[in-house]
Amino acid sequence: MSDFLYFSEHTLQEVAILIMVTVYILRLRWLFKFKGGSERQAPTGSDDTNPRKGIIYSWGAIAMPWAMESTRTKFFFYIQFSLFHIGVTLAILLSFIIPYAPSFLNTNPLIIPIFQLFIGLAFIIGVGRIIRRIFSKYVRAISSPDDYFSLILLTVWFGFAFFAVPNQYEQGEGILLTYFILTAFFLIYVPFSKISHYLYYPFTRYWFGKSMGHRGTYPIRRKPKHAGV
Amino acid sequence: MGDKKKSKKAQQVIDRMGQKLNRQMAASMAACVHCGMCIESCHYVLTNPGDPTYAPVYKADQIRKIFKRNYDWMGRIFPWWVKAKSPVTDEDLEELKDTVFGKCTNCRRCSINCPMGVDYATFNRMARGLLVHAGIMPEGVAVVSKDQWELGNQMGVLKEDYLETLEWMEEETQDELEDPSFQIPIDKKGCEVVYAINPREVKYDPRTIADAAKIFHFAGESWTMPSEGWDQTNFGLFSGDDELGGAVARRLYEKVEELEGKKLVISECGHGFRSTRCEGPNWAGMDIPFVMESSVNTMLRYIKEGKIKVDKTRNSEPVTFHDSCNNARSCGLFEEPRALLNLVCTDFYEMYPNRAENYCCTGGGGAMSMSEYTNRRLKSGKVKADQLKATGAKWVVTSCHNCVDGLTDVIRHYKLDMKVTQLVNLVSNALVIEEKVAIPPVEGIPIPELIEEFHNKKILVTDDEPDFVTFISTILEDNGATVMRAYDGDKAIEIARREKPDLITLDISMPGKSGVEVFDNLRKDSELQRIPICIITGKPELRKLIYERPDTPPEGYLDKPITEHDLILNVKKIFEVVKHESLKK
Repeated sequence: MSDFLYFSEHTLQEVAILIMVTVYILRLRWLFKFKGGSERQAPTGSDDTNPRKGIIYSWGAIAMPWAMESTRTKFFFYIQFSLFHIGVTLAILLSFIIPYAPSFLNTNPLIIPIFQLFIGLAFIIGVGRIIRRIFSKYVRAISSPDDYFSLILLTVWFGFAFFAVPNQYEQGEGILLTYFILTAFFLIYVPFSKISHYLYYPFTRYWFGKSMGHRGTYPIRRKPKHAGV
Repeated sequence: MGDKKKSKKAQQVIDRMGQKLNRQMAASMAACVHCGMCIESCHYVLTNPGDPTYAPVYKADQIRKIFKRNYDWMGRIFPWWVKAKSPVTDEDLEELKDTVFGKCTNCRRCSINCPMGVDYATFNRMARGLLVHAGIMPEGVAVVSKDQWELGNQMGVLKEDYLETLEWMEEETQDELEDPSFQIPIDKKGCEVVYAINPREVKYDPRTIADAAKIFHFAGESWTMPSEGWDQTNFGLFSGDDELGGAVARRLYEKVEELEGKKLVISECGHGFRSTRCEGPNWAGMDIPFVMESSVNTMLRYIKEGKIKVDKTRNSEPVTFHDSCNNARSCGLFEEPRALLNLVCTDFYEMYPNRAENYCCTGGGGAMSMSEYTNRRLKSGKVKADQLKATGAKWVVTSCHNCVDGLTDVIRHYKLDMKVTQLVNLVSNALVIEEKVAIPPVEGIPIPELIEEFHNKKILVTDDEPDFVTFISTILEDNGATVMRAYDGDKAIEIARREKPDLITLDISMPGKSGVEVFDNLRKDSELQRIPICIITGKPELRKLIYERPDTPPEGYLDKPITEHDLILNVKKIFEVVKHESLKK
């Protein structure tokens, strides 16, 4: 392994993570500088709903495709969403496994194929999402340069992550170097881009769930399915 | 790279945003990933396929870009990268007005369909408030807000009109029940229940007041209605004006405290319930020492506790239920109206989707007061029309006055064989009242014959729409009136001089001499000035042209579209008031 690859896998990543964490802390500080909303109303809705249940339901909604009409009626899109995020998780995990626990990849012959399967699927879905963002009239109308750039960058990153999974630097360091440099770039860029949505996710869903639980809307009940006399 | 020089109003909007933003809204602004999952949850999108400007996320971005440009890092440094932009001119603000008032009813359906928990409806309301603060809003919103600030209710109902209506309903119900002890108590202190209503009930649907009063009466409730501060609706919810919201809510809360009421019961009204019960304490900054509940809960409890008895076979036609967005999605009132319907109707059928996922009636968010968006609203009603039609029901029941009007419009526009009613009407109709012993007629005392409502009355109908004139005339003639028709202002004055009618119905916007000029001429003519006038207009924003005149205000006022029921009640009321006043003299 070359010194440059070693630097890219370790020092570069550690500095990038440090920058990301610092920016995230500043970002949260920024968010919490806004005044908090207050709630004076007495709870409404049935007795079996409350803010706590609302929060749990709200956090869990993303794992319950039946909970929202938008995920229930677009199940294929939901599957894509799930696979895409599994791919993201595994590609991030890979950036820690290769430098700090490379032997893990060889503990079971299925690990590398599984990583490649999900990261490969995420790459294909990423390509599909780029196409959708360009060709769907609705999505194009709302897309900013950041939306395109983030998605393209992520998809390219998946491509390199796919080939980086076996960690075979002996056969050439180009793929691994590109993967780690891209990872470092991501770590620095993400807090400034829309990809940082996961930082806000727990908060937006917490506040929305708390409010809707207090008002008796969450957890949502749906019944019956069919209308008509 | 800085923005161009902003107009004063544009700067006001930006500055105000900084004051109104809270943590929840800032997170909602920052968290959107533009995934587009919300798009198809909106009834405007479903009825305008291919037009991305109706998509919730697109509409949200029109507000978000201001936030990003002024309050977010990336937007301040690299605005083009994240599509951040400040409004610069007043035209930019007009465009924003079109989006936040004219393309969204704040129904919150997209909010519950956002995977990120972005509550678009909440910050759309905030954006409305920013524009209102800068003086930019639809004319109807300005008119209604002004009425609520100045007269204490959003329909400009005068105190004497309100009290007269209560008195009228009291007398009607006494006659109907043949019970002179029946009362609508006003300002009675220390009651268990203080009942607050929507001014629409006074102006267009006083029967709901009588129905509610009957229910309280037979339940043996200790109740009262306030003489002032009685409006439970709150246009602050629609205009985004928290100051108005707080003032209106406080007025009602303080009245209940003054009357030492133990519970505030809110008549069936979606936005009224949400404003009074949920948002009001926050806007007013008050902790409320008494209980507040919807009349739906009250009626349900009366039946369950055996305080009133009902016979569901009296409501035997198939009914379906429309969930008001404010009652349901924003206040969790899902099961109580259904439980009540099952007690007072024999055939209740759900529509689909229902409860939290039900579609807007199209009249929410103050849409009924913004006549410039009527075509857009009716077009978006196709979703609701399809939903209603699929139920096969003859009646659609709802617990909201805005929904009553919105659904009525949808039903008429899409020619559905269906009518709209409220739970209070159904409960009242199903009330089992102990029969009184019939007293045989006493010889020598004649039994009065049933007469038609407007027998011997001459009514002049003035409107430039022939279909509308026919509609009104037919109803009035069916009720015994002799009707004369005028299709323009000059003709109206000519007929009025010649025939001296007992009542004139008058449209405001007509070619040639407008309704305002006709009104002016009539009021200035010593022979004609005492003829009662009922304004019937499709442009409520023009009514100030009439009401702000120094002349005696018109005796009646109706917004188009109107129903047969509204017309008869209002005309009847005008004649009763005129008769009452002439007796006094």
